[in-house]
Amino acid sequence: MNETLDELASEYVLGTLPAEQRAEVEQRLPHDAQLRAAVDAWEQRLFPLTVLAEPVPPSAELWRRIQRNLAPAQPREGWWNLLALWRGLAGAGLVTTLVLAALLLTRPPALAPSFVVVLVAPQNQAPGWVIQASNNQQIQLIPLGVMEVPADKALQFWTKGDGWQGPVSLGLVKPGQTLSVPLDKLPPLAPNQLFELTLEDPRGSPTGKPTGPIQAIGRAVKVL
Amino acid sequence: MPARDVNDNAGHQHKRGAFAFFAGKPAPTEGWLSLLQGWKYVALPDAHFDYEACLSACARGEQRALRQLYEQDSSRLLGVALRIVRDKALAEDVVHDAFMKIWHGAGSFDPSRGSARGWVFSVTRHLALNHVRNHHREVALGEEHEQLAAPHDTFEFPARAGLMHTCLQQLDPARRNCILHAYVDGYSHSEIASRLGTPLGTVKAWIKRSLAALRECMA
Repeated sequence: MNETLDELASEYVLGTLPAEQRAEVEQRLPHDAQLRAAVDAWEQRLFPLTVLAEPVPPSAELWRRIQRNLAPAQPREGWWNLLALWRGLAGAGLVTTLVLAALLLTRPPALAPSFVVVLVAPQNQAPGWVIQASNNQQIQLIPLGVMEVPADKALQFWTKGDGWQGPVSLGLVKPGQTLSVPLDKLPPLAPNQLFELTLEDPRGSPTGKPTGPIQAIGRAVKVL
Repeated sequence: MPARDVNDNAGHQHKRGAFAFFAGKPAPTEGWLSLLQGWKYVALPDAHFDYEACLSACARGEQRALRQLYEQDSSRLLGVALRIVRDKALAEDVVHDAFMKIWHGAGSFDPSRGSARGWVFSVTRHLALNHVRNHHREVALGEEHEQLAAPHDTFEFPARAGLMHTCLQQLDPARRNCILHAYVDGYSHSEIASRLGTPLGTVKAWIKRSLAALRECMA
């Protein structure tokens, strides 16, 4: 056997190698069968000396620590199976239901403000359209007749509340069509809010603001 | 076996134990025994514990097997680690890490390379050695350390000495102490030199020659 190798193995097992050489041996061991055999032989030779260290009972905590760290890969209980979570949510849901039920039974029904707009022709005040809003997030535009629109033009629907910078487009409207328009991106419907229909290019106003003649105009009125 | 003669008066003690010598009393006999000046009880491993089966069970993920190994040897492993790192909390860290290594490495244990029990101890011992080498314990060598080391100046051997002890017996006592301080206490060359008041070069040469002699004697 290679003597230098055996010396290295013997001092590795004995423990006298400095840190760097110990690390070197430990790196070589998995790949170097000769060194491994030499180390194994020295482990066996010197092993009887192990009994010279008196046994020392470990603290009770040591096993618990080992056991805690044994299988970190074990899947934890998913939130789906957490009984406490679902119990909590069910309890909270029940409480919410009871509170809402109590509110419903003890309070008079609070109706959302309802608005109506009559759109009239600016020249002769003839009503052409009606707008209904049973809540302030959605309105319905209902035609009262069929308005004549030139073939190369379209009707565009606008609204403007008090204090707004300018009219906001609610889209194109076909004559005779009933239209539902959501207002969810606008402030809630308010009294006196202006609605109008203008004649614009077939794809709508190129500027984003009304440019053509007003065909019908009206303001929101709150219905009690 | 000479040990039997001396240990008759305490033979009623634990049957899994054996009796070891310790220092402090007049030497009863000549030669090898002159080193060992009294008796002390040292627990020996349970001959019936199947370490290989235990490691196979660990490799299959059976925690109960690791628990059995812990019950079997944790005190001895802690003793081995404590002699080297000399701090109970640190020694427990070493044993903790050793059990992690044993648990995860049980599957790669190769019985053709040596005994399973030997592997368990060498894993622990090398973790302890790495700790003291990597943390340069040398700097802590002072009077405080001398006091700590003092009780271990003479080594106690169990009665079942075997070939190893016969061969150790043939070494000059100072050289034998170098080997024992290195293996059991995890002393570095320079720690042994300062401990024994012997020049570093001499200690290195003694250790080298003693190891060669042991190898030859045990062949």
